[in-house]
Amino acid sequence: MKDNIVIIGGGVAGMEAARQLIALGHKPIIVEKSNSLGGHVASWYKLFPDMTPASEIIARLTKEISDANVFTGTKVLSMTKDKDTYSLTLDNGVTIAAKAVLLATGFHLFDASKKEEYGYGVYDKVITNRDLEALFRGEKDARIDNPKAVGFVHCVGSRDLKAGNSQCSKVCCMTAVKQAIEMKEKFPQAEIYCFYMDLRLFGKKYEDFYINAQRDFGVHFIRGRVSEVGETFDGRLQVKAEDTLAGKPLKVQVDTLVLMSGMVCNPTVSDLVRQARLDIDDDGFLKSRNNIFDILESNRPGVFYAGACTGTKTVPETLAEARAAALEIHNYLKDG
Amino acid sequence: MIDRIPSGFNPFVIPFLVGMGFVLLYCAFGVVRILFQLSREDRRKFFISLVNPKTALKNIRDIFCDCLFHVKLWKRNPLLGYMHSSIAFGWFMLILLGHIEVILFVPTRINLFYYPIFFNFFVAETDQTLRGALLFFLMDFFLLVVLSGIVLAIIKRVRSRLFGMRRTAKPSVINLIGLYALWSIFPLRLLAETFTAHISGGSFLTGPANWIFRQFLGNDLHYLPTWWAYSIVLGIFMCVLPFSRYMHIPAEMLLIPMRNAGLKIRNARKGLAKVQVYSCPNCGVCIDACPMSAGKENIKDCTVYLTRQIRRGNEKRIAEISDKCLLCGKCEAVCQVGVQGPEIRIQQRAIREYSINQDYSDIAALPVREAKVLYFSGCMSKLVPSIGRSVESVLRKAGVDVEWMDRDGGLCCGRPMLTAGRTDEAMSMVHKNEEMILASGADTLVVSCPICYRMFKESYNLPGVRVVHYSVYFDELVKAGRLHLTKSDLCYVYHDPCELGRGCGIYEEPRRLVGQAAAIAESDKCRAESVCCGGSLGSLSLSFRQREKITKASLENLYTSKADAIATACPLCQATLSRYSDRPVRDIAEIIDRQTN
Amino acid sequence: MADFGFKLSKSSTLDLDKVDLKVYNLLCKTDPDIKTCMACGSCSATCTAAPFSGMSMRKVILALQRGQDVRPMLGKCMLCGKCTMVCPRAINTRHLILSICKCYD
Repeated sequence: MKDNIVIIGGGVAGMEAARQLIALGHKPIIVEKSNSLGGHVASWYKLFPDMTPASEIIARLTKEISDANVFTGTKVLSMTKDKDTYSLTLDNGVTIAAKAVLLATGFHLFDASKKEEYGYGVYDKVITNRDLEALFRGEKDARIDNPKAVGFVHCVGSRDLKAGNSQCSKVCCMTAVKQAIEMKEKFPQAEIYCFYMDLRLFGKKYEDFYINAQRDFGVHFIRGRVSEVGETFDGRLQVKAEDTLAGKPLKVQVDTLVLMSGMVCNPTVSDLVRQARLDIDDDGFLKSRNNIFDILESNRPGVFYAGACTGTKTVPETLAEARAAALEIHNYLKDG
Repeated sequence: MIDRIPSGFNPFVIPFLVGMGFVLLYCAFGVVRILFQLSREDRRKFFISLVNPKTALKNIRDIFCDCLFHVKLWKRNPLLGYMHSSIAFGWFMLILLGHIEVILFVPTRINLFYYPIFFNFFVAETDQTLRGALLFFLMDFFLLVVLSGIVLAIIKRVRSRLFGMRRTAKPSVINLIGLYALWSIFPLRLLAETFTAHISGGSFLTGPANWIFRQFLGNDLHYLPTWWAYSIVLGIFMCVLPFSRYMHIPAEMLLIPMRNAGLKIRNARKGLAKVQVYSCPNCGVCIDACPMSAGKENIKDCTVYLTRQIRRGNEKRIAEISDKCLLCGKCEAVCQVGVQGPEIRIQQRAIREYSINQDYSDIAALPVREAKVLYFSGCMSKLVPSIGRSVESVLRKAGVDVEWMDRDGGLCCGRPMLTAGRTDEAMSMVHKNEEMILASGADTLVVSCPICYRMFKESYNLPGVRVVHYSVYFDELVKAGRLHLTKSDLCYVYHDPCELGRGCGIYEEPRRLVGQAAAIAESDKCRAESVCCGGSLGSLSLSFRQREKITKASLENLYTSKADAIATACPLCQATLSRYSDRPVRDIAEIIDRQTN
Repeated sequence: MADFGFKLSKSSTLDLDKVDLKVYNLLCKTDPDIKTCMACGSCSATCTAAPFSGMSMRKVILALQRGQDVRPMLGKCMLCGKCTMVCPRAINTRHLILSICKCYD
């Protein structure tokens, strides 16, 4: 089988799809814009629900795709269709003619500084979920100094028309519960407050995490969206929300406030999308032909999707889609 | 020069007389009614200003500059300026010269109202004099000037883009009748005077034209019908004038002295507001200026349509238009006659009755620590915490003894309530805040939010307290050497917040500050022409989705500067612009705080 | 009536079959966004008037949806517009408040 398959994006979706395509006898080409593979998952410490180290997953995938042709630090400049072949030009001068293209371009983490009222970038003590994972991975963070109280703000940039994202990011509730537990393990004396609108803990073992967080770690769950973050005279953060269950305005002082930045569409693919005339959904993510049966297929024959480029996904969902996409591509090339 | 018709009358003058009589009666009645609608105090103020030589002189000057020469329009758009002033001033000169002619040549007829208008019909030239030739020359000259204006007006009606106007107001039927009547008045006058030029005398225009016509027209039977036609279109024009946009001609002559008397709009439908409504010439300059018209939307909600609907009494549309407006003040800034679109809308909102009315008098005053300088950040700044934090930090660096009076929340300044038309509720808040501020013993109140600042400036009574916007205060601190700025290598474009710029006239200090802390660039439209961010609290009914287009258009204007970042001085502008901006949006306070040590 | 030392109090149950939604339905016409409230409490948390009066737009909207009288709940609103700024569902709460103040007669 000599047909070229290009996978755009070297995160877990792209890597897993490459692994499966190799197993099916293909030799896929991965084009990754950053200098290393692994995408967002590589910046995470442990993954729910089994608290598997993210580095293990990346290491395993990296090892198993050693046969693939990988361009890191490379961007796709253009993608045009000629009969049944796509011509992709890379910024390193290489041009590839591919029969099938898999977009595994993933998502962007919402820029928390856009929600000015939370003070990210203004107050030192306000960090994001990604910053916290870096701390867990062992990076030094001067902003976090033995906090006595920690707040987690759910839905930052998700379910928020004002931020331009009406969708639920789906993973943040669970991530917040996971990080709350990890935080409590790291700083056992800290009080932890989770501010949520709705707790959406839908997946396998997620509810167990919730119960653990309440029972074993004493995490306080407060139903109310944080609306303002101020600073006290002694430099602590004053968080304001409404305790909607008590029906009263609530304020609490914390030393660290973690913003659960949501998943938003990846804006860097917009040029490719225009050139290849792919459909975009209302939420800005790539639009599948159908959200039940043809979730991996685009509106153009030969262009496939896997992972969070079509919407918010967990890591297991992304991996499952990547496997399925590999099979779809295999069948497509066989029939074609 | 002698009287040709012994009776000094011909029936053709009747249409003109009817029209003129109607207009004069209508206007006289209107003036009396409007004067009665003014409050006793305002009426007094108005009459005193009329006899005050200073304002009287200013009235005359303004009437000449605005009504006849259209100076403001010349500055904005010379072609439009020429078009309007050629018609207005030309016509005025024709009337004036007509009177001079009557006084000079047939002084016994000066009591006849129509004589100066139809002078050429009633006289015969006996001998040519230099004086007569000069007058006839001037008459022809100004007729030509008016005609050139009419030609431009016709071109503008077909192709408004040639005049730099993207959109103009759609004329109503009555306006069209007035328009066509106006267009035909002067060609008919030319024709009429041409036909009689061999009797009454003519100059460079009417003389040769008369000679040409006489080559193929054997008799004089055609000239009376032409004078009839001229008189009829004059009559039609005068009769539709009160119901058309041409009402702006007499109305503006009342508006100018009222404005110079310092009157304020107190009711959206009476007094000064009414005069402004009638003064609107429907030119449509406000349509292109209105930020809501971005993407060709909300065009029928601009001020020109508000005045039209008020004249028609369409209550549903009046309410809609009044509630939608952002109150950014740009229509007022560009308006040639000075229609206060935002204020009319606020007063229109004030007419509405509510069954739930707020009262704050029983709120316990919050304790404010005594300090020389108080800082009031306002409600909205709580949602953009970088502003209050930076203002406080900069003031401390300059060694100012400052107390942040609403650090943990306070009362609203009252302006959002006031612009919603609920004056009593707003004043209830104002009194509560006044109480707190005066109790603190401060001599300076630094305000960071332009909305609050305007309210403190215009509606608060704070004896002994200087209310100052932080940009002005910082500028003074820099000049006094108490703040030392270093320059960053960023380039900012400054977005003028509506309430600070057009609202309070503060344009220079923010620019000077940014210019000392970084490079500064200007966008296409800036200062009084700046484009509202779309976040304004002025609008009651615009939805979030509708505001999106306005914000994007405002950003497009700022992007024309090619700056790396946007500077502004309003929490609402910052929050609104940064929502869609592709480059950082920062408050001046934050920029200054970064560049001082 | 004889005093038996206790009295029957009105049921505190919200009987959705019997509530009067006249006001709410009226507001759904002028301010259709009201239907999309998800009761997150942002408006109440940021409210300038809340510290003085316990005002809560979230409660107001909920009360309207349950057919209860909201007149006593808006007496200290300052119309500052912060609730509209923070609403994640982009409800024009400020206009809604004015509509409520207007619709009772």
